[in-house]
Amino acid sequence: MKRRIAIAAALAATLLGAAACGDSGGTTAPSTEGKVDGAGKTIKVWLMVDAESGWKKVVDDANARFKAETGADVKVEYQQWANHLTKLDATLAGAEVPDVVELGNTEFAKYVDAGAFAELKKDEFENSSTWLTGLSGACELDGKTFCVPYYAGARVLIYRTDLFEKSKVEVPKTLAELKTAADKLESDNKDSKFGAFYIPTNWFMAFSFGQRSGGKIAVKEGDKWVGQMSQPAFQQGLQDWVDLHKAYSKADPAKDENDQAAIFAQGQAAMFYGNGWEKGSAEEIRKDPNDPESELVPTKVKGKLALAPMPEVPSFLGGSNLGVTQKSANQALAAKWVKAFTDTKSMEGLIAANALPNSTALLDKAAAVEGMEATAQAAKNSWFPPNSAKWADVEKQTVPQTMLRDILTGKKTVQEATAWGDEQINTILNAS
Amino acid sequence: MYAVDSPATPRQHRPSGGHQRLPQRGAVKPKRRKNDSARTPLLLAAPALLILAALLGYPMFRMMQLSFQDMRLRQLLTGVTPPWVGLDNYTNVLTDPFFWDVVRRTATFTVVSVVLSVVFGLAVALLMRRVARPVRLAMVVAMMFVWAVPQLVQAQIFKWMVDTDFGVFNYLLAQIGLDYQGHSWFADPTQGWIVITTLVIWAGIPFLAITLNAGLTQVPKELLEAAVVDGASPWQALRRITLPILKPLITIVTTLSVIWNFGLFTQVWVLRDSKVEPEYQTLGTYSFIQAFGQSKYSLGSAIAVITVLLMLGVTVFYIRQMFKIGEVD
Repeated sequence: MKRRIAIAAALAATLLGAAACGDSGGTTAPSTEGKVDGAGKTIKVWLMVDAESGWKKVVDDANARFKAETGADVKVEYQQWANHLTKLDATLAGAEVPDVVELGNTEFAKYVDAGAFAELKKDEFENSSTWLTGLSGACELDGKTFCVPYYAGARVLIYRTDLFEKSKVEVPKTLAELKTAADKLESDNKDSKFGAFYIPTNWFMAFSFGQRSGGKIAVKEGDKWVGQMSQPAFQQGLQDWVDLHKAYSKADPAKDENDQAAIFAQGQAAMFYGNGWEKGSAEEIRKDPNDPESELVPTKVKGKLALAPMPEVPSFLGGSNLGVTQKSANQALAAKWVKAFTDTKSMEGLIAANALPNSTALLDKAAAVEGMEATAQAAKNSWFPPNSAKWADVEKQTVPQTMLRDILTGKKTVQEATAWGDEQINTILNAS
Repeated sequence: MYAVDSPATPRQHRPSGGHQRLPQRGAVKPKRRKNDSARTPLLLAAPALLILAALLGYPMFRMMQLSFQDMRLRQLLTGVTPPWVGLDNYTNVLTDPFFWDVVRRTATFTVVSVVLSVVFGLAVALLMRRVARPVRLAMVVAMMFVWAVPQLVQAQIFKWMVDTDFGVFNYLLAQIGLDYQGHSWFADPTQGWIVITTLVIWAGIPFLAITLNAGLTQVPKELLEAAVVDGASPWQALRRITLPILKPLITIVTTLSVIWNFGLFTQVWVLRDSKVEPEYQTLGTYSFIQAFGQSKYSLGSAIAVITVLLMLGVTVFYIRQMFKIGEVD
């Protein structure tokens, strides 16, 4: 009961905040053109923690250029992914809001739909004509643009070079080759803990297989979403993924991909499927995980990992966008900062830090960087979940995870589970 | 709890000096006391009542109000007054079969976890009466430590212990030769619920054992000795003498446990890594996810109001018990 009351109290507090400052925020799109005098002003930016651990230099550089141009200071606050939306909701309901907010690309549509972000002038941002559609799709509503793509991550195959050499297997170019390689690896590594391919219940991966066989998650018919997972085209790919899991993975079906790099670092698998930067997370860990400045300690697999495109399987394009909040009192300044942080110079910094840039025009540049070939290539063949403001709710209700777990534990067949999934998706996406 | 349970014990019926002196002193100026006694308690309680009204009453009122509106993210962010939708939220919740699944699951968990924790708590309390003083002290200290650990930390500890890949639990089971290497404790919801229930019981025992132990100190030794002399078995002595004397206290701690466990949230939230699958949803997590995960604040409020109503019976029973015990005095 105590908790329920706490919720009610928190809600009431946020409501009071909302009532107190309901009408602030401009209605016209802030322009980044022309001079804005920001001397003495400070804008507040919420970035996710990846920027701090991955490319803090890019942030510092953009801040410096922004300050030189406008005279304004920037205060960057790094957020954790877990429950960051709950924090954002409570903050945006109040008066002291951040001016710029980063959100995951699948999270953005809901907030654009709710009017949380100010309209931006698309043409004023560099490379806006070649933005990755998997990112910018969530920014568009009724022909207007409400956010700017920031960076992307495409998932690839991360494998153990030493084990591949020992078993004399080549990097697979097709799914069939991958299975042959996995069979060989399994027979060469007899440890009962060993599984050639570590596959947690990662719906990005499973659904990528559904895309490979030509399936879709859902399509829009008129103004109604219709789930397509129970169609044979999707089921076929899903079955391939399940077979791969059954044959080569020792992963817990109740775990998602959150700690896959740490598990892989134990040395009990030869391959896993993840973002390019997870190679680094598997090879080195912070001595003190709570201190991003602490020294890096090598793991068992240090120097033994390499990336390759996942053969034949299109990649889910994950990533982040940046928006200027509707309630921000410094919208013009905030838009200028976003412009500096997403221009070609910043994007080149991101590429150097192994993240993918926000534009197809820059992907070739990324592909030329050592170690980035695989992810850049994967990003060119990528897919994106239904662009609906309600898709975030599908993820929140753990529909994809539950569906996959039920198949892996044998509780449901692929047919039963996908039928259930379609039913859930239809209900959630079409809810009023 | 001492203040509550002591009047119920037979010893209190003996005349005591302290109790008798008070009325005598009051009898000197009966008129003034009467006026005072009518107003003083109210005055003394006023600050607490005011704080309760502000911190509890208002949020409760807003929650009720919200449950009849349709508040979404847009209204939260823009401050627009949400539209009034009457009983729509309630109809939606009550006609959703999944909601009833959640209610059934929450109720089952509550019954199982409360019965087990009270039984174990009582067993530990009885054991404490039998062991030597230093051992009893060690037990109290150990339990105080468990009690002092915040729920969130308790849940994190359990999460790591039963982790599939890094958990000490699987490691130990594998060490003694069982095939538990890489065993998932949450793939099968039954096993998952056993873990969650174990955690809740483990964390609940200290309060129960220490409270019941305090109650047990009030059971007159002479009665038990007499029973033994008359040939009663330990089991009979427990059932016919100890339990009846402890009954009011047991009733209260049981009711409290029901109220606490019915609101289960933190443990599930942490053990399922904030991604709670349908089979692990309880009324607490369900209402939270509807309100804050999906920004259906009104629907979440309606679920919370229904939860309050479901708990009302237990709460009324608890308050009546409190009064009943007060009346014995």
